Amino acid sequence: MKSIKDLLSKITVENIKIELMRTAYGNKDTFMGKLDPRVAIVWYLIFAIIPWLFWNNTILLGFLLYMVVLLSISRVSPLIIILLAFGLVTEAGYIIFVSVMFGGDLTAAMALLTFTLKLTIISLASIAVFASMDPEKFSDALMSFRLPGQVCFGISYGYRMLPILIEEYNNIFNSFRLRGKVPEDRGVIHWKRVVYYCKTAVFAFYPMMLNTAKRTRTTVEALEVKGFTYSLKHEEVRKLKLSYLRVQPRDIYFFIFTIFLIITVIYIGHLYPIEREIHPL
Amino acid sequence: MNTLISVKDLSFKYPGGTENILNRVNVEINKKDFTAVIGSNGSGKTTLCKAFNGLIPHFYVGDIKGEVIVDGLNTREHSVSELSKKTAYVYQDFENQLVRPTVFDEVTFAPLSFGMKDFKERGQLALEMLDLTSIKDEFIWQLSGGQKHLVALASVLSLDPEAIIIDEPVAQLDPVNAKKIYEKLKLLNEAYGKTIIVIEHHTEFIGEYCKKVIMMDKGQVVWQKPTKDALNNVGELIEKDIFPPQVTQAIHRLYQNNILLPITLSEGIDFLKNHPVSIAQQPYPEKVKKLPTPIVSLEGVTHGYKTLNRGMNYVFTDLDLSLYEGDRVAIVGSNGAGKSTLLKMITGIIKPKHGNVFVCGENAGNTPPEKLSEKVTYIYQNPEEMFIEDSIRKDIEYFLKVRDVPDTEQFFSKLVERFHLKEIENKDGRLLSGGQQRRSSMAIGLGMRPQVILLDEPTASLDISSRKEMLLMLEQLKDSVKTVVVATHDMQLVAEWANRVIVMDQGEIVKDGSSHDIFSDVALLEKASIQAPQIIKLGQALNLNPVPLSVDAFVSCLVAESGEEKLEIY
Amino acid sequence: MSHLRSQQLSQSQKLMVFILSMSLFGIANIITEITPEFVLGPVELSVSYFAFVPLTMVFLFSPLHAALGAPLGEIIFADLLMGDFGGLGELEGFIEFGMGMYVAGLLVKDPTNKKQLALGALIGVGIDQMLSTIVDVGKVWFGIEELEAVPGVAESILVLEGISFTTEMLISGVLFGLIPTLWLVPKLYGKIEPLMGFEPRNPATFRSSAEVINVKFIIPAVFLGFVAMIAEFMATLDVNFAVWEPEFIDQFGMQFLWVGVSAAAIVLLVAIIGIVKLKNSQNPQDKSKGA
Repeated sequence: MKSIKDLLSKITVENIKIELMRTAYGNKDTFMGKLDPRVAIVWYLIFAIIPWLFWNNTILLGFLLYMVVLLSISRVSPLIIILLAFGLVTEAGYIIFVSVMFGGDLTAAMALLTFTLKLTIISLASIAVFASMDPEKFSDALMSFRLPGQVCFGISYGYRMLPILIEEYNNIFNSFRLRGKVPEDRGVIHWKRVVYYCKTAVFAFYPMMLNTAKRTRTTVEALEVKGFTYSLKHEEVRKLKLSYLRVQPRDIYFFIFTIFLIITVIYIGHLYPIEREIHPL
Repeated sequence: MNTLISVKDLSFKYPGGTENILNRVNVEINKKDFTAVIGSNGSGKTTLCKAFNGLIPHFYVGDIKGEVIVDGLNTREHSVSELSKKTAYVYQDFENQLVRPTVFDEVTFAPLSFGMKDFKERGQLALEMLDLTSIKDEFIWQLSGGQKHLVALASVLSLDPEAIIIDEPVAQLDPVNAKKIYEKLKLLNEAYGKTIIVIEHHTEFIGEYCKKVIMMDKGQVVWQKPTKDALNNVGELIEKDIFPPQVTQAIHRLYQNNILLPITLSEGIDFLKNHPVSIAQQPYPEKVKKLPTPIVSLEGVTHGYKTLNRGMNYVFTDLDLSLYEGDRVAIVGSNGAGKSTLLKMITGIIKPKHGNVFVCGENAGNTPPEKLSEKVTYIYQNPEEMFIEDSIRKDIEYFLKVRDVPDTEQFFSKLVERFHLKEIENKDGRLLSGGQQRRSSMAIGLGMRPQVILLDEPTASLDISSRKEMLLMLEQLKDSVKTVVVATHDMQLVAEWANRVIVMDQGEIVKDGSSHDIFSDVALLEKASIQAPQIIKLGQALNLNPVPLSVDAFVSCLVAESGEEKLEIY
Repeated sequence: MSHLRSQQLSQSQKLMVFILSMSLFGIANIITEITPEFVLGPVELSVSYFAFVPLTMVFLFSPLHAALGAPLGEIIFADLLMGDFGGLGELEGFIEFGMGMYVAGLLVKDPTNKKQLALGALIGVGIDQMLSTIVDVGKVWFGIEELEAVPGVAESILVLEGISFTTEMLISGVLFGLIPTLWLVPKLYGKIEPLMGFEPRNPATFRSSAEVINVKFIIPAVFLGFVAMIAEFMATLDVNFAVWEPEFIDQFGMQFLWVGVSAAAIVLLVAIIGIVKLKNSQNPQDKSKGA
């Protein structure tokens, strides 16, 4: 199957590195990227929770508008937003479609629209914050929220090891291909080939696990020598590591503005509500 | 007090192990020493060095007797954290030792983890000492192997340790980068007063840089001598599978009597100035005749990778190359010259963006690698990536078994025998020694009955005896395979084995000729950053033409004027 | 000295298991991310994760650290670093999946026992899927005001969740969970541990009795939660079921609905049998160990 082969060939080290570089060099100098990571995360948490508290479409639309404006100044590619919206809308579409089969009507559509609006706001908020956040800063922010040191370390470790591990997997996968045999008979919709590639992808994990185990041992030994365990046990190390994080005036202004905006939107929403009519049972 | 590390009656057994890896070791290492630890595989070199920084007994909880004192601290009573400020360790697989995304993060990681307030200054200083400030903000995954090794060194240097232990620096690096590392170590030793301990079996580097040598065998220290004395023990070294520098070997064979042998190139040149030799000129070797139809041909091949801004980064543009029956091709050139990409293109794993690759009449551009592998075999640089089954025997059989080829038992048994794998055929490849892994990967390759065999760095990280074995296997390949292609940094291998050398530089073939052509072109060597083997440099210094490519050839075209009979002892 | 002593992992060994599990499942997720999907309307046939990777880890090593590492690997490698981080949604996934894997690991006492492995694999993925169904349904419930007043939506959600639960159990649970795990674990057991410098797991290793007791609470709790959620939801349907006009849709819809519920019932049954068996097999070994 041609498309599968194409897809598999995409797991090249080069492509992954490019993705990583996008994350690494991506939109760091955007407005959201320059915020203190802790402030950004708190901001996100507010918008991950607040949409669940309102069923008033005016309020939700207000938040949506805020997100769209923020995203546009964060230079997030419009494609991402469109894809996201498309995904959420089709999902709602299926629910509406099936509910019509169960005797639903347009109230269902309205209800779902509100629901989808909530999900969209939350997703956009996460894109606004995390698409432009440096993984290192993210990990430090988590550390300052007192998440376990292992978790925070995991982020930067993944950042470091991903290309190596992908290359290794790629080599092993190719090792299978260089000695394997593609089924000559392709079967209906190439299913035999699909099975061949899936099986190979699974089989490749046997060598992968053993090789990674060997690799991990050196890493942990090196961590031990470099004082990683020591750092987990000593509070002053955490403070030293996080000493560079400082809340700037811009963070405070942004935060105050956001609170003000939330209050305004809620107020306007109450004045001019667009609400679903609730049919009595 | 001048002693830095003192080991007293140290014995150690790994948990679950049956034998002592270290057996009553007694040794002392002084401050500001530059010591090499040598010995064959399994002699306990690495284990001893891990006892210096406390990983033994704190990380490996085995049975331990005796004691190790590092700078006044007993390793048993002090934690790894404390000891790591005294001794630092750079691993052989240093890539896995780098745990942070960027260079500066990496070099500040250790001092930061120990809560040192001046962690930034320490990182900066380490970078300056090794001349790495220019790559301070780079991501680790963008660096070359040589740079990564230096960063690994810098990251342990930031704790300002007394001693630095480096496990086989040359194994994973090309000769140019290896030399760079040694130059830095020399600097650290001389200018910063660091004690350096290397685990090494490349005696040319030992001769050039180390002051003392510790010889280990079967878990014991056999002797500890100044380098000059150590490398003069030619007979004993060879008995332990350690080969003295080519210069030393050559002079030793020319002058059997008890003279003090030179151990570096410059000493060798001086020596020959004072001990004139007469030259028995050898004829030029015959050039191989090319058969009209190539087995592999690349026509106008262009290939590249996407870059961040969706542009292309070209590895090759419009590359033409033909390989013929009987060719023993060595492809050389620095890292990133495109050697591996070229090999993978012949296997069909990488498809060219433009142009055609033909392999035994098949167009590799539209033939899946599964099909091409019936003609071509690719042997990975890291044999572990070839072990896809849980035993060597199954790995060798895999290719023909999935193709349901009948009556193969005898063929496989012969292969197993030929590569001396009988005792280990039921083991998983990952549990074998480096040499055994190489042998196995060769057997797996030949188990596919190829016409063309491609090898990526077949001699990397092999000890000298396994390397000899490898050379012998490559020699024997000509009976079963039409064309052999090797991508390598190992110039001794190139000089002694190849009949055709292709020099690549930034995706271009800058020279295609015999070993003689390549090694006599000094400008080319410079351009492609190739280090000619010591024996060739010695021959060039004597103006030998054609320059002898191996110690054998060198010895056979020189006659010591003192009149002594030269003896063949190897 | 008893060979079956309960092995205490050192800090760095725990870290090793954690990092290994994280790296492997991270890579596995990048691979599943690019595998193709077949979408037939609301039915999506795709490999959502290679469950066998973390399952193998929790069966071979310390369940807690392997179970924590795996979902973290997914979040870091496949989401955060590929620029696709979902915020709080990731936390949901972390808890659901981590709990599933942890329970799976604790259910297995002897990695050479295929029955235990199979049971552990199914329950592990089952818990993850049930928790995520609970969360999904809960979100709709909470997110849509007076859900029972909107005709059709509740049924629709249940049907879609039922379909997704069933396909997930089949693809991720069985095809890419159970089957590869049964193949991998015996192959790796006794081989991967020495590479990392510790002894292979034995019946007494890595599971404290307190942990095992917890498992016996977690599994019923998740099942009860799952069943309760569906039952509550069903209650809101009563009125609407009557409204259905064409009979075939009626039957069709019912069948769909019951797929999810019966899948849950089957898993529950298997789990109960398994726990009982485990309990029985535990006793004689305990005695022999006591020596």
